[in-house]
Amino acid sequence: MHDPQQAPAPNARRAATWRRYLRFWGPRAEADVDDEIAFHTDMRARDYMARGLSETDARRAAARRLGDLAQARAECIAIGSRRERRMTRAQLVDAFVHDLRFAWRTLGRQKAWTAVAIITLALGIGANTAVFSVVNALLLHPLPYPNADRIAFVYLEPARGNTTGMSVVVMPGMPVVRAWKENARSFEAFEPYMDEDRSLRTTEGPPVSVNVASVLPSFSEFTGTKPTIGRVFTSRDIADGARVALVSEPLWRGRYGSDPGIIGKSIVLDNQPYSVIGVMPVGYRLPQVEETVSDVWLPLDLRNDSLGVRLVGRLRPGATVAAATRELDAIYARSAGEKPTSLDAGDFTVRLTAPSEMVSFRQSLLLLSVAVALVLLIACGNVAHLLLAKTAARQRELAIRAAMGASRVRIVRQLITESLLLAGAGCVGGLIAGWLGLRALVAIRPDSLAELAEAHMDGTTLLVTAALSALTGIIVGLLGTLQAARFSANDALKAGAISASQSRRQRRLRSILVVSEMAVSTVLLVGATLLIRSIAHLQTVDPGFDTSRLYAVQLSLRQEYPTTEARQAFLADLTARMRQVSGVEGLTISTAVPPWRSFMIGALQTEGDPLPPAGTTSFIDYNRIEPDYFRFMGIRLVEGSTITDTSKAARQVVVNAGFAKKYWPRGSALGRRIRVVYNGQGDWMTIVGVVGDALTSGLLGEASRPMMYLATTDSNQPSVLVRVAPGADPIPSLRRVVAQADPRLPSPTVSNIESVMQRSIARPRFTMTLLVAFTGLALVLAAVGLYGVMAYSVAQQTREIGIRIALGATRSEIASSVLRRGILMAAVGALVGVLGAGWASKLLESMLYGVGRTDPVSFAIGVAVLLATALAACLVPVRRAVAVDPLISIRAD
Amino acid sequence: MPDATTDFLKGTLDLMVLKTLSWAPAHGYGIARWIEQCTDDVLQVEEGSLYPALHKLEDRGLIVAEWGITEHNRRAKFYRLTTAGKKQLAASRDYWARFAGAVFKVLETSPAPR
Repeated sequence: MHDPQQAPAPNARRAATWRRYLRFWGPRAEADVDDEIAFHTDMRARDYMARGLSETDARRAAARRLGDLAQARAECIAIGSRRERRMTRAQLVDAFVHDLRFAWRTLGRQKAWTAVAIITLALGIGANTAVFSVVNALLLHPLPYPNADRIAFVYLEPARGNTTGMSVVVMPGMPVVRAWKENARSFEAFEPYMDEDRSLRTTEGPPVSVNVASVLPSFSEFTGTKPTIGRVFTSRDIADGARVALVSEPLWRGRYGSDPGIIGKSIVLDNQPYSVIGVMPVGYRLPQVEETVSDVWLPLDLRNDSLGVRLVGRLRPGATVAAATRELDAIYARSAGEKPTSLDAGDFTVRLTAPSEMVSFRQSLLLLSVAVALVLLIACGNVAHLLLAKTAARQRELAIRAAMGASRVRIVRQLITESLLLAGAGCVGGLIAGWLGLRALVAIRPDSLAELAEAHMDGTTLLVTAALSALTGIIVGLLGTLQAARFSANDALKAGAISASQSRRQRRLRSILVVSEMAVSTVLLVGATLLIRSIAHLQTVDPGFDTSRLYAVQLSLRQEYPTTEARQAFLADLTARMRQVSGVEGLTISTAVPPWRSFMIGALQTEGDPLPPAGTTSFIDYNRIEPDYFRFMGIRLVEGSTITDTSKAARQVVVNAGFAKKYWPRGSALGRRIRVVYNGQGDWMTIVGVVGDALTSGLLGEASRPMMYLATTDSNQPSVLVRVAPGADPIPSLRRVVAQADPRLPSPTVSNIESVMQRSIARPRFTMTLLVAFTGLALVLAAVGLYGVMAYSVAQQTREIGIRIALGATRSEIASSVLRRGILMAAVGALVGVLGAGWASKLLESMLYGVGRTDPVSFAIGVAVLLATALAACLVPVRRAVAVDPLISIRAD
Repeated sequence: MPDATTDFLKGTLDLMVLKTLSWAPAHGYGIARWIEQCTDDVLQVEEGSLYPALHKLEDRGLIVAEWGITEHNRRAKFYRLTTAGKKQLAASRDYWARFAGAVFKVLETSPAPR
């Protein structure tokens, strides 16, 4: 049984609170109803008395006549309360509309002031909008799949012994993939995939190289796409081993003229015909965050153990990454026990990676997000200061309104409405500025950041911008009204306008704002300087080899040349033809061309040292070269000689200085023997020479990273390095020569090494450009802020300055006293900023090359630029102070 | 006649309140007394119905209330008809007249003799 008295208690309490509120703010329904009923009772009693009853009897009779009115009373109160709530709401809306109109008029009266405030906010908000659009596209939506937030890449990583200093992941073998796909409960979809370049026969010319991906039939569901025309793969296709293919819409449009009759036609990949069954839209793409889109798709046969696939999965709703990892680990351990694969020599564990972690531009984006947030902070500071100055000037207006009965809350609300209106205009301006900024950002993007083109402003961007603007408006409004909330109408109406304590408090607030802006600017300045110096280092660094007029022709010889002899014969013929090309000065052959690296996985063992423990994993950079490689590349020979015997039996190797220094810090590396151990095996090789360190892995690489140069260039993907005479453009003729040597080969990739090397620093340079731009914006805003404060304080002190001049102060004394204040604020800001930068430069550390994150030069430059800017911002106020005419200024007011 | 006091037809009280107020603004007690007097005390307005009805009419915007002083110098809540209230009264009055007439006809008619 429950007590009916207890049940409604919470409601009753709420009602009580509500009534208290009403009593405070206006009429309250309950009292009204009680009064009305009391009046009624009195009148009834009076009637009875008029008929001759005594007062007591009359009252009793009246009460009896009325009976129990509790229910009617409650009903009336409910109706009344509801109406009052409605009216209160209406009143609030009314007041807001009134505030808005008033704010509109006030802002409209001071057009210049309003313009400055809106532009400042628009710049601050716009910078954030632009950067957020990129973050939104690249980090928050890296893959255009449905439920992308539950997508994870599945890798194996060495459980221990990873000495590479970076994350090493390997692809699981097919038996493991099958075991996972069949047994993993934490995934609702499991998509193995692979891709490779193949040559596609064309009717009109040499074959073209296309990216061919292999996927399961379920991949179309996984990506949420349907064929533009035709159909997708079926499990039947795979069971039958059908030679069917899907082509991408871009390929279909570009190469086949959007011909719908392509269905059922045959295309030839690497000399094998496939029947086209469908055309897929661009959304049907491999989950590769930053790579090219596939052109052709083939069915993937999971029964083929020789295939190496990559894996992506979609977790079930509610499944955690940790639990999913545990489950896959358990399945992996079981399947590895049943059927050993070559990967099980080491000890591997499962690693799940979210797509956004694969975005290599991630670090830069985080840095830029912080930078634009700081810019917005400075913009807020400036507008708050503008509002402060305006509130001070409006002291009298506000005092009059207060004297006429406007409550303090009402006045503050009015001021906040104004700042919200400003922020609203700033939001619109910010969207425009952000859109322009985003266009500019996309326009100057480096080629390697092609996916940046996908960044656009969507609903999320609009929402975030609006929220940011509202927040800005409130912060600015509160800062700007700090003293308005305190002011006393009495003081303000008095002749002296603003009391001394008031102006002191205001001055302190302004100073804090400016010092903060200076500090934030210093942080940005130091960061930008660090990046500039880092890029400058990269651009002037000696790569250790001669990149000038160097070209690479990357060939792909697969089934056309199955044997070493065939390949060597072809390369001999090709190089002979190339030497005939006008402008070619020399050439050599190697397997890796800058800035690409090739590395062996395993453990390095030097002779005399024990065998490294099983499972030790490291990347050992190597390149296969011809003996004349070093002379051709301009890589210095430190000691010994280049490879003298290219025979397999001789097993000669040349290492770089970094290699020699790492393993034999004292003594020579010459004559030593080394081997790369993988699965307990590896051939011993003898070091015959040591060469200088070279940045063949790109300008962002590390020259002294140990590197091995091996003899024999036999590979099915060799490259010819060609150096040409100044002024020659060899690319067309080199391509032609390859086509002449073997018309069956796909057109090779020919690249200019010098520009490719420069391009490898395009991303850091892009980040730097953006950071410098945002820093410049921040600096300008901060300078405007300092100027504003200084100009205002000089204007306030005109009278005092006049008196001092009249009393004999020299102009230079006046100038230095004004200047001292400005520089003091800048210096305090710089000091705080330096401390902040010392901490914040951690964010930058991974992006710095050749510069430490505490590089004193960068800090000094940052501070110097800040102080110089501060000085410039103070100049006009100082000149104004010096120009004060004592006669006029003292007489004024 | 206790039955008559409780058995107000739905909407009848509203109509009578509106009609009462169409002469002049009045407080709740005044309205009740007026109706009682008009009907020679046949209809006794029950307070438990009157006040909710008044508040509902006010909520619907048919009447407005304001506090005023009575002839006995007491504070009382006076109700006044709004324009919307006047329209509603006219409409309800016509409807009620037709309805009452119809009911009356039914009551007056005796079955035709065979």
